[in-house]
Amino acid sequence: MTQTASAAKKTASAKAKAGAAAKASAGPKKARTKKKQGQAFPFTAIVGQEEMKLSLILNIIDPRIGGVLVMGHRGTGKSTTVRALAEVLPSIERVKDDVYNRTVSQFIEMEKTGKDGKALTPADMTIEDIQVPVIDLPLGATEDRVCGTIDIEQALTSGVKAFEPGLLAQANRGFLYIDEVNLLDDHLVDVLLDVAASGRNVVEREGISIRHPARFVLVGSGNPEEGELRPQLLDRFGLHARIITITDVERRVDIVKRRREYDDDPQGYVHKWEKEQKKLQAKILKAKDLLPSITMSDDVLTDIAKLCMQLGIDGHRGELTITRTAHAFAAFNGDKEVTMEHVKEIAGLALRHRLRKDPLETLDPGEKIERELAKVLGEEVDA
Amino acid sequence: MIAFTDIVGMDLAKQALMLLAVDPSLGGVVIPAAVGAGKSTLARAFADILPEGTPFVELPLNVTEDRLIGGVDLEATLVKGERVVQHGVLSKAHGGVLYVDSLSLLDSSAVSHVMDAMSRGEVLVEREGLSEVHPSKFMLVGTYDPSDGEVRMGLLDRVGLIVPFTTQNDYRARREILQRNITVKDAEGHEDTRDELNMLKGILDAARELLPQVAMTKEQMQGIVQSALSLGVEGNRVDIFAIRAALASAALNQRTDVDEDDLKLALKLVLVPRATRMPEREEEEQVQDEMPPDEEMPPEEPETEDEEAPADTPDSDAEEEQEETPDMIEELMMDAVETELPDNIMNISLASKKKSKSGSRGEALNNRRGRFVRSQEGEMRSGKVALIPTLISAAPWQESRKRDRAKKGHKLNTALIINKEDVKVKKFRDKSGTLFIFIVDASGSMALNRMRQAKGAVSHLLQNAYVHRDQVALISFRGKQAQLLLPPSQSVDRAKRELDVLPTGGGTPLASAMYLAWETAKQARTKGTSQFMFVFITDGRGNIGLQSGMNPDLPKATKEEIEQEITGLAASVSADGIASIVVDTQMNYLSRGEAPKLAEKLGGRYFYLPNAKAEQIAEAAMS
Repeated sequence: MTQTASAAKKTASAKAKAGAAAKASAGPKKARTKKKQGQAFPFTAIVGQEEMKLSLILNIIDPRIGGVLVMGHRGTGKSTTVRALAEVLPSIERVKDDVYNRTVSQFIEMEKTGKDGKALTPADMTIEDIQVPVIDLPLGATEDRVCGTIDIEQALTSGVKAFEPGLLAQANRGFLYIDEVNLLDDHLVDVLLDVAASGRNVVEREGISIRHPARFVLVGSGNPEEGELRPQLLDRFGLHARIITITDVERRVDIVKRRREYDDDPQGYVHKWEKEQKKLQAKILKAKDLLPSITMSDDVLTDIAKLCMQLGIDGHRGELTITRTAHAFAAFNGDKEVTMEHVKEIAGLALRHRLRKDPLETLDPGEKIERELAKVLGEEVDA
Repeated sequence: MIAFTDIVGMDLAKQALMLLAVDPSLGGVVIPAAVGAGKSTLARAFADILPEGTPFVELPLNVTEDRLIGGVDLEATLVKGERVVQHGVLSKAHGGVLYVDSLSLLDSSAVSHVMDAMSRGEVLVEREGLSEVHPSKFMLVGTYDPSDGEVRMGLLDRVGLIVPFTTQNDYRARREILQRNITVKDAEGHEDTRDELNMLKGILDAARELLPQVAMTKEQMQGIVQSALSLGVEGNRVDIFAIRAALASAALNQRTDVDEDDLKLALKLVLVPRATRMPEREEEEQVQDEMPPDEEMPPEEPETEDEEAPADTPDSDAEEEQEETPDMIEELMMDAVETELPDNIMNISLASKKKSKSGSRGEALNNRRGRFVRSQEGEMRSGKVALIPTLISAAPWQESRKRDRAKKGHKLNTALIINKEDVKVKKFRDKSGTLFIFIVDASGSMALNRMRQAKGAVSHLLQNAYVHRDQVALISFRGKQAQLLLPPSQSVDRAKRELDVLPTGGGTPLASAMYLAWETAKQARTKGTSQFMFVFITDGRGNIGLQSGMNPDLPKATKEEIEQEITGLAASVSADGIASIVVDTQMNYLSRGEAPKLAEKLGGRYFYLPNAKAEQIAEAAMS
């Protein structure tokens, strides 16, 4: 028997009434986001690590870039930065209390009818503003919690087979963050690859059959020395930001001071940075508005294609990502047209992880990209 | 049980634990020590000096994922008819201590969860229909024997204090300690012990109270950062740990300003153990096989009564506050490192090469870990219960069972009646692949060539074998002894880095290499790897004995003795179920046929590949 997402939704709202049951599913999730708000270290107070910050911002501006993989040394603020991201994210509209964060039109398209069986119209629906969700996928998550599964509580108490949405549902239209992504279990990687490719999550298990939208920006972080990332997953990430240990003494002292100040009084510290946070948020919003009107000449497009060809990058995802990223970058800078200058700034981010790995290659991928870029642009290359 | 104050020796470890007691945000203490040094006694005694009611939770090595993180308590859930959540070990340690004995033997998925909890301060439970957040802020106290293998760097990174490893190689000193441990216990009554403990607790309380007022100058902070940089410590998080350690040390000594000793202690416990290089000063030729002098542990210290006083070097003359520049501070700190720490401080994991104990506690059963494949009937205690299949199999019988019970006059206080035969447990497949150990001859003139081939083959294997979850280790041998250059790893980056600079030339300690490879395999086995492949890249001509290579005092081994060692080791390796191949890259006219013989002894295959390409070697290993 096939259930639609609407059935799941019904059970979700029925559960909300059930009180005790609600505690188990939606309850803690909301509590968690609330708790974290106003407590995370401010994004704008993070010293250095510009590559990672820029990559994240560009993905807010255009989620189609396809996410960020942040790899680098231990103890350099990777997860702090990603967790700080939530505070600068814009808000989106969704149908009130919808577990899949759907827009009104998406909701109507999927559900067609309401509880009473009548065709849905926009007028029937209440809308609410929520902040773009950032969902944490912990390493120990089981597949059923990631994809969603039968609601055990309901099965136990009333024998009803109802669907309980998982993390993929919550991440729809938001960010899905996996710390230590290179250590993620293989079967979860399989699931992620599947969903990331199709933008929808299909659950066929334990007598339940459900499909729901699951389009998210995938953010992963890890330390390359702990293990390799599966090549297919690596390829899924739009951008690849590298993190290194900051070696400037003054900046490191600055990091320590900021951290200590924050630890002493998180609320006060967050308040201190509120203005900066708002400024960044406004800048991102402006870029988002500007994005659709940004243009790019055919010459630039040709140069991008040449670059990817010379670097021997398989497939077209490289070109696509670099183009989208360059657009977002131009928008962030308030520029109306994408130039090769923009491309230059973000080429490393978009291509670094797409180069073939040659064990005997001594040249850093970043340098290689720069060199090829210079060739494309007809610049002199230092031998 | 021996009280914290009664333990003799391990002074740095004690200091580290006291700092942690003053400032739990230091994250934890890791104590590497050889068997019998009393590390676990000390760690357990730590519970006594913490405030009343502080949780002290021991993490068993064979912990399952659901016990670690928490999950649904199936039995209670079935009885009550509603979901009952069981908190995991990580959450039970909240606000207290999580203690792990033999930290290096903890399997990697458990390590990941501990790391994750430490970084969040909470555990995210996303399992089996459960979505909860449990607070989990704890101090990690871990002890391990470096001969059991290394602790994952990622985990060490979240632990503030790492006690430098020292071997107690003087039996007289050991006897002394043992004797005193016994006499202290016998001679002094429990009254004294309790008084001492209470005094120490008082000191710690006072220090905790003072801590918020302790401050550090900007120069001192810069000094710490500079030291971290010159020691090549990775990441920026350590700065914060080092500063906290220095502040805690000042608080312990009832000062509100940080002095030289505080900085030195921070350096010793936070920065130096993570050093990847020593600052350039005229370095002597490092002689590997020379045992380090044991300066760091002063076992001959006369009075034991002083032990509990945290300031065993009360530095009241901290008045020498001339204009201290960060450079001067760094200088001071570095001096301390050189004079007070043993040479083998770097690379704690490789510091001890002694034979590891027989795997009495290592044999971790793996039927609860790995990839969940399917469910099958089984005992509730014998594995992870597969909840949903269990429910499904119980569902059709509910009506009849309820009727039965009603007939018998039992009360129906559960919504569901689950019988033993309904229970299904999950079946797991071990996810670990093969560990390839490359054993590369770095002696003689062809060494460079072999090394390059090995490097290529390693990278090739790692890149092509991802799906099998294979790992690669690399041992090179030259001179007197073999060296584990790359511990079992899946990382191409790491392999590349470790293999970049390699000394070559010298004797051929083949037996030593075989022994080290076998030890490496045994260690990996305790962590769940079950398949091994030794890839020898050599001409098979060993000329340094195992015993005589390690101990210069012994007479040189004769050719026959070496031959015997190799034969014996080969037989043991083969009997242990380890597959081997021998790749001979020597030109034909130079070969004396030793490599095929080696392959024969190992029960492995022999490949003759002059000018072999890296891919060929990798393929030979994988075939």
